[in-house]
Amino acid sequence: MFGQTEGTKEDADMSDSRIRILTVDDHPVVRQGIAGLLGVQPDMVLVGEASNGREAIQQFRLQHPHITLMDLQMPDMNGIDALIAIRNEFPNAKVIVLTTYAGDVQILRALKAGAQAYLLKNTLHKELLETIRVVHAGMKNLSPEASYEIAEHATDDALTPAEILVLRLIAAGNANKQIADQLSITEETVKSRVKCILSKLGANDRTHAAMIGLKRGIIEL
Amino acid sequence: MSSEQAFIRILVVDDHPIIRQGISVLVGTQADMSLVGEASNGREAIQQFREHRPDITLMDLQMPEMNGLDAMATIRGEFPDAKIIVLTTYTGDVQILRALKSGAYGYLLKNTFHKELVDTIRAVHAGKKTLSPEASYQVAEHSADEALTPAEVSVLQLIAAGNANKQIASQLSITEETVKSRIKNILSKLGAHDRTHAAMIGIKRGIIKI
Repeated sequence: MFGQTEGTKEDADMSDSRIRILTVDDHPVVRQGIAGLLGVQPDMVLVGEASNGREAIQQFRLQHPHITLMDLQMPDMNGIDALIAIRNEFPNAKVIVLTTYAGDVQILRALKAGAQAYLLKNTLHKELLETIRVVHAGMKNLSPEASYEIAEHATDDALTPAEILVLRLIAAGNANKQIADQLSITEETVKSRVKCILSKLGANDRTHAAMIGLKRGIIEL
Repeated sequence: MSSEQAFIRILVVDDHPIIRQGISVLVGTQADMSLVGEASNGREAIQQFREHRPDITLMDLQMPEMNGLDAMATIRGEFPDAKIIVLTTYTGDVQILRALKSGAYGYLLKNTFHKELVDTIRAVHAGKKTLSPEASYQVAEHSADEALTPAEVSVLQLIAAGNANKQIASQLSITEETVKSRIKNILSKLGAHDRTHAAMIGIKRGIIKI
């Protein structure tokens, strides 16, 4: 399918106490890198690869990996949606998010969706392997940057879903009147939500709020 | 040994160890290629280049300490024949143009398949310049647009940081009228509804960073 993977479920049943791993990432170079890394680990075996969320679900059903390494930003279906779908069907699924971004809101979204760990792609091989082993043993882990981000905003008030909707429309360049029309609310309500948003995010103005929203993973481009 | 001469000698620069591993494995499968060095930021890239004089450098753009563009400019300043292929996640057209202007021979996205990546390495080694399809599309899409002037980019950067016109005026030592007039141009050139929209477009296209 996606290059050399070994260790079908049958092989695993026969021998094998190795940690069975599924890689999900839309960058072939990343999948190759992980394959290379896992290939020399005596206690691990790569059992499948996927390049988007949809394929991830299929591969999971097929291979029943112990650990899934999941990228977040992927075409077709992203990592969070795939994570949710997989854990719905397989509540014991252990998923490690391996991504480029460390917005605190995005991190929390992943953890709440059931991820056991959140690692950045600048993670060293040693840290990645360690995380795979500790998650397999039942623990959780976070890249230091992820921990810092969460700590930084831990006592902040989160935006409500209604506020996030407004922020998204602000980012797309809508004036209050247009936002009011789109959400079928009054302009006063919009103004009041914008005020809350600015306050919660510590933003100087709506543009700043949109930027902070992007940075922290509250909204996307 | 004369057989060594047949190898395309490659330096990989990326702050993600897993990407460097992936390139290493990939290059290992190619009989005509050899990985001679790795670097995790621009500064190391320059050191490694000086030490190994690779035929081809695969360069990430977003890296800590020193980014890919700055490293590329320095390397090409010292070694004008350096052939550098940018390998990145982003397709902001302005960023692409900046990379090409800085002397990149190729611009590839990280979602590129192995075959395209090795083909590109060989093509660039043979002297050809290449671009990922998505990158070409972005450049074409905005090629007829008027670029923002440096002055306009400064204003846009300050807008994105949440500065009101008054603050922008005082930071750039210009009048508020000048600021307003620049913003008008910015909105027009970017096809933006308002300053927030302009900031978002600026980020998307790689004109400014957060």
